[in-house]
Amino acid sequence: MRPAAFEYHRAASIEEALSLLAEFGEDGRPIAGGQSLVPMMNLRLARPEHLVDINSLELDKIERTGDTLSLGALVRHERYFNEPLIAEHFPAFLDAAHWIGHPTIRRHGSLGGSISHADPSAELPCVCVLHDATIVARSVNGERRIPASEFFISAYVTALEPGEMVVAVELPIPQRKQHGAFIEIAERMGDFAVIGIGAVLELDGDTVLDARIACAGAELTPVRAASAEQFLKGRQLTEEVAQEAGQLFAQSVDPVNDYRSSAEYRRHLIVQLTSRTLMRAMKSKA
Amino acid sequence: MTQTTLTVNGQTRTLEVEPRRLLADIIRTEFDVSGVHIGCAHGVCGCCTVHIDGIPRLSCLTFAVQCDGKEINTVESLGGFDATHVLQQAFKSEHGLQCGYCTPGFLMTLAPYVEKKVANGEMPSDEEIREAISGNICRCTGYHGIVAAVRKAISNQLEGQQA
Repeated sequence: MRPAAFEYHRAASIEEALSLLAEFGEDGRPIAGGQSLVPMMNLRLARPEHLVDINSLELDKIERTGDTLSLGALVRHERYFNEPLIAEHFPAFLDAAHWIGHPTIRRHGSLGGSISHADPSAELPCVCVLHDATIVARSVNGERRIPASEFFISAYVTALEPGEMVVAVELPIPQRKQHGAFIEIAERMGDFAVIGIGAVLELDGDTVLDARIACAGAELTPVRAASAEQFLKGRQLTEEVAQEAGQLFAQSVDPVNDYRSSAEYRRHLIVQLTSRTLMRAMKSKA
Repeated sequence: MTQTTLTVNGQTRTLEVEPRRLLADIIRTEFDVSGVHIGCAHGVCGCCTVHIDGIPRLSCLTFAVQCDGKEINTVESLGGFDATHVLQQAFKSEHGLQCGYCTPGFLMTLAPYVEKKVANGEMPSDEEIREAISGNICRCTGYHGIVAAVRKAISNQLEGQQA
């Protein structure tokens, strides 16, 4: 398949990109790596009339400001592996990065692109929800800061308004040392996840002080495990406790049933992967 | 139509290109370079991998107009029609191909990978090699021959350095 006709515009500055996107509204889309948008266009699932190429904009910085790590929308996935601030503070993010697409895709795909595309099985939207990230969006009307929990509305649907574009993702740097992990099951390494689970733990020895768990691929947006997170607080983390947390998480979600997997198998995976991810996060302590 | 200057395997041409045209199609139809194979045309199979300014990229997920002024290399630039490149030779001896449709994509994905490993003096594990080729699909070989070819291409060059 080949894409429908569109007009191509190369933006030289953020201001120019935003003014073009404002002019085109619903009919315009920014393009960076194109690793999600172009497949959608080739399959004619997306038919933007105007593409605004933002590859030459300076939106690829990774910087720390106070207790916030800000990642520009044009940071390419392969850079996460070489970023000491991610390795130190967001180990679950780093672990998740290995599961994003394939090496060629990770070299070109961008953070802003993946977030805006909002595939329900994608790693980065899940990681944003896991880490309580803030999505920074900009339009000619100014900047909006949207909590990740409110950004992902449904499959491929976000809180972005026509004419608005993601410019950065902000991650709150935790006060205390955190341990994290991310595991997923896909048909083939790098394929879309059937289920992916991310976990972040704050530990005192084996005792959980705080826990966060999120799942990709179960529902139409990433989901957090409120009941399992609550259950883990104050408990000693053992295989049994981790299994129980997985059961609680699986009971609290309503998994989709599709060609990739039945809802029942997804529920089974949530139990097992939650348990494995928690244990992997704890073992990463050593 | 957008005026676009592309250099494919050293041949530079300026064309009037419809924005919706994929780089893979332009290379095949306008430059008559048929080593770029199109399998899935939506970024899943890796057959259309080319180098843009030396970096592997899927030419089915790239619009030709985005490549204005860029240097593009296809499998033809590796070892020519005699396939003399060390990786091509290893694919031949280790049965890294059967029908050959996916081979240009594998070679273009792997050539910089092999080069980097050799430069670092590293021999990757089979698992690492499999991750490196995870974006390329081969329906014939079952991948064993391809993994063996990568190992051979790297080990031959590492031994050559020691000698």
